[in-house]
Amino acid sequence: METALAKVKSEEYGGELIQLVSFNLEKEEYGINVLMVREIIRMLNITRVPNTPHYVEGVINLRGKVIPIINLRKKFDLMDAEYDKRTRIMVMEVVGELMGFIVDEVSEVIRISEKEIQPPPPVVSSGIEQECMAGVINQAERLLVLLDLEKMFSADERRLFSNVA
Amino acid sequence: MAIDCEDQELLDGFLAETTELLEKLDDDLISLEKSPEDADLMNRIFRSIHTVKGASSFLGFDMLVKVTHKTEDVLNRLRKVELTLTPEIMDVILEAVDLVKTLVADIKGGDIVERDLEGTIAKLIPFLSENAVEATVLAPVFAPKEEKAAAPAQAPAEAAAAEAQAAPATPQEAKAEAKSEPAPSQQVAPAPQPKPQPVKEPQKAPAKGGGEDLADNSTVRVDVKRLDDLMNQVGELVLERNRMIQLHSDYQAGLSPADFGDDFGKLSKRLNFVTSELQMQVLKMRMLPVEKVFKKFPRIVRNLARDLGKEVDLVIYGEETELDRSVVDEIGDPLIHLIRNALDHGLETPEQRLAAGKDRTGTVVLSAAHEGNQIVISIKDNGRGIDPDKIAKKALDKGLVTDEQVAAMGTREILDLIFLPGFSTKEQTTDLSGRGVGMDVVRTNIRKLNGIIEIKNEVGQGSEFILKLPLTLAIIQSLLVEVEKEVYSIPLASVIETMRVSKKEFHMIGGQEVLKLRDSVLPLLRLQQTFGCQEVYTDRDTCYVVIVGVAEKRIGLIVTRLLGQQEVAIKSLGKFLSNLPGIGGSTIMGDGRVALIVDPIGLVGGAA
Repeated sequence: METALAKVKSEEYGGELIQLVSFNLEKEEYGINVLMVREIIRMLNITRVPNTPHYVEGVINLRGKVIPIINLRKKFDLMDAEYDKRTRIMVMEVVGELMGFIVDEVSEVIRISEKEIQPPPPVVSSGIEQECMAGVINQAERLLVLLDLEKMFSADERRLFSNVA
Repeated sequence: MAIDCEDQELLDGFLAETTELLEKLDDDLISLEKSPEDADLMNRIFRSIHTVKGASSFLGFDMLVKVTHKTEDVLNRLRKVELTLTPEIMDVILEAVDLVKTLVADIKGGDIVERDLEGTIAKLIPFLSENAVEATVLAPVFAPKEEKAAAPAQAPAEAAAAEAQAAPATPQEAKAEAKSEPAPSQQVAPAPQPKPQPVKEPQKAPAKGGGEDLADNSTVRVDVKRLDDLMNQVGELVLERNRMIQLHSDYQAGLSPADFGDDFGKLSKRLNFVTSELQMQVLKMRMLPVEKVFKKFPRIVRNLARDLGKEVDLVIYGEETELDRSVVDEIGDPLIHLIRNALDHGLETPEQRLAAGKDRTGTVVLSAAHEGNQIVISIKDNGRGIDPDKIAKKALDKGLVTDEQVAAMGTREILDLIFLPGFSTKEQTTDLSGRGVGMDVVRTNIRKLNGIIEIKNEVGQGSEFILKLPLTLAIIQSLLVEVEKEVYSIPLASVIETMRVSKKEFHMIGGQEVLKLRDSVLPLLRLQQTFGCQEVYTDRDTCYVVIVGVAEKRIGLIVTRLLGQQEVAIKSLGKFLSNLPGIGGSTIMGDGRVALIVDPIGLVGGAA
C-alpha cells in the first residue's frame, strides 16, 4: 500500500495526470490528491473533546476506530456555517493517522496534468496559511486551490495540537 | 565478537531454555539455603547448571562453559555433602549465576563481550580444594575426607558434557542427553567412597519448563485447554450470527414485527452471553500469575538482608493470583521499591528488635489477592513503622512543606508526604535508598495503572502498603456520568463513592471549592468548568459528586447526573489528541457514539 502510493506520487511529479477530489468551502473550490482520501462520509454525531484548539470539532466513531474531526472552515478562519445535507466529512490519512475534515460539499474527482499546477500567488488574503497551499489550478472556468494537508500538520502544529491546555 | 551460529533456531532454543532454567535457579537456590537438606532440590539445581553447561559447550560458548563448569563442581561437592552450605558459599554461587545470566544476556543481545570471569571463578576455586573445605565448613558433621570423590564425579560429568557436545541435532536432544547422563554418574561416583551416609537417590525431577513462561514477553504460551474453550466460544458466536441472518431473512419473508421483536430479544440475550464469555476467555489468555514478578523477590530480600545486617523472613501468599500482562510488566519496579523500603526503613536490626521485645527475625509479608475487579497487593512488615512526627520534620527540613501546611494536616496527610519527589528520611544516600526518588516512582507507576495506594501504619508495630490495581487495562468497568448533556466515563477502579449533594453544602477554602465529607475535607472539581462544557442546567440546586482516588489522593468530581455502570473497551484517541489533560482515552457506547474517558490522574494532579 505504502509503496504503491509512493510510486504513484513520484509519477505524478513527473508531469503525469493526477486525480484530485474537489470540495467547496465558503463557495471557493479546493482540491486534494485523491490518494490521500480514504473515504467521504455524511455528518455523524461528533463528540466534543475539551481543551483542544477551536478548529478541532471532536471525535467520531468510524467503524470502531475513534478519529479526530477538524472543521476546515474554522481552521481557515472562515465564517461559521450550519451543517446541511451536503456537508461531508472527508476522512484522510495525514502523517500516518486517520483524520476527518468537515467541508461544505464534495463535488467531484477531476483529472489534471501536473503542468497545470501553478505556484500559489504570493499574497493570500484568507486565513489559509501559505504553507498548506501546494498550488493553484487555473482552468478555463474555475480556480482551484490545491491543499497539502501534510504540511498543515507540520511538526510545530502537531505539538501545539496536543499540548493546548 | 559477533555470534557465529549457523542455526538460528538452535540458538533460540538454547536461549529460551537457558533463560527458563536460570530463572528457576535463583528461586531454587534461595529455597536451598533455607532447607539445605533437601536432596531433590539440590539435584535439581545441579541438573540445571549441568544442562546449561552441556548446551553451551555444544554451541561453543566457552565463557559460559568455564563459569558453569566451576559452579557445577562446587555444587557437586555440596550435593555429596563434602561441603556444607554456608551463606558465603551461597553468595559466591549466586554471583556465578549472575555472571552466567549476564553472559546469556550478551548472547541474546547478539554480541559476545569479553567479560572478566576470573574474579568469580577465583572465588569458586577455594571451595574445590581440601583445605578450603576444612576451613569453610562450619559444622563438619560429615567428615569431609573424601575430597577425592570430586574427581571421579567430575569426570563422568564431563563425559556427559562431552556427550552433549557430540549430540548432533537440536539442543533439546543435547539436553536430553545431558539429563540422562548425570544419573549414572551420580551412581558411579559414590560407589568407590567408603561413606556411611545414605547415597542420595538421583530422583528424576520432571523438567519444569512446560507450563512456565519465557522471560521475554513477545510470545505467549497459552494453555491448550484455554485455546479450545476459546474456539468453542467462537463457534457459538458463529451460530448466533447465523441465527441473526436467518431472523433477518424471516423478517423479510413476512415474519410479524411482534414475533421478530420476541426472537430478536432472545437473540440479543444469547449474543450478550456469548460475547461476555468470549471476552472473559481472551482476557484469561492475557493473564499471568503474579508469581512472575514475585519470584525474584526472595533473592532480592536475601541479598538486601545480608547487606543491611538484618534478619528477614519473606513470606509470600497468593502468588498464583492472575492479572493482565500489561499490569504484571508495570508493577515490578514499584514492588521492588516498597520491599527495599520495608527492609531498609521498616525493619530494625536484630539487636534493636530484641531490645524492643520482638523476635530477632523480622517478617515481610508479600501477598496478592483478588478483590472484585481489582487485585490487591500488600507489602507488610513488622518493623518500627513510620513515625509521622519524623516525616513531618523531614519534610519541613527539606522545604517541601511549610509549618502552616503541616499544622493543618492529619496523620494520613502527613504519611502521604513520603510520596513527594525529593523526600527521604535517610541522612545518607546509600545504594539502597536515600535519594528520595523511591516513593515518587512508586506513586507514578501505580497512577499509570489507574491504581490506588494506601498506607496502614502503627508506630512500633510495622507498616503495610496496599496497592489496589485494576485487573486489566484494555477493558475497564466504568461509571458513565453526564456533565451538562455530555457523557463521560470514569474508570470505576478509581471511583471510591458517589453521593448526591445540595449545592448549599459546598464551601470555599482558599479559592478552592470543598465538601465536608464525614471527618475529612474533600477538594472539589467542577467537570463542567474543567472540560468547558456549555451550562445547560442552571436552575438545579443538587448535583452528584463522584469521589475518585488516585494513589493516596482523593478528589470529588461534580457532575450533573450518574448514568450507570458499564464495561467499556478503551480506544485510543490517536497521537494528535493523546496528551489532553484530564482525558485518558475514549470508548464507543451502545448507540455508536463516542464517550470520553476521564483520566483521574490528570485531574487529581491538576487540582493539587
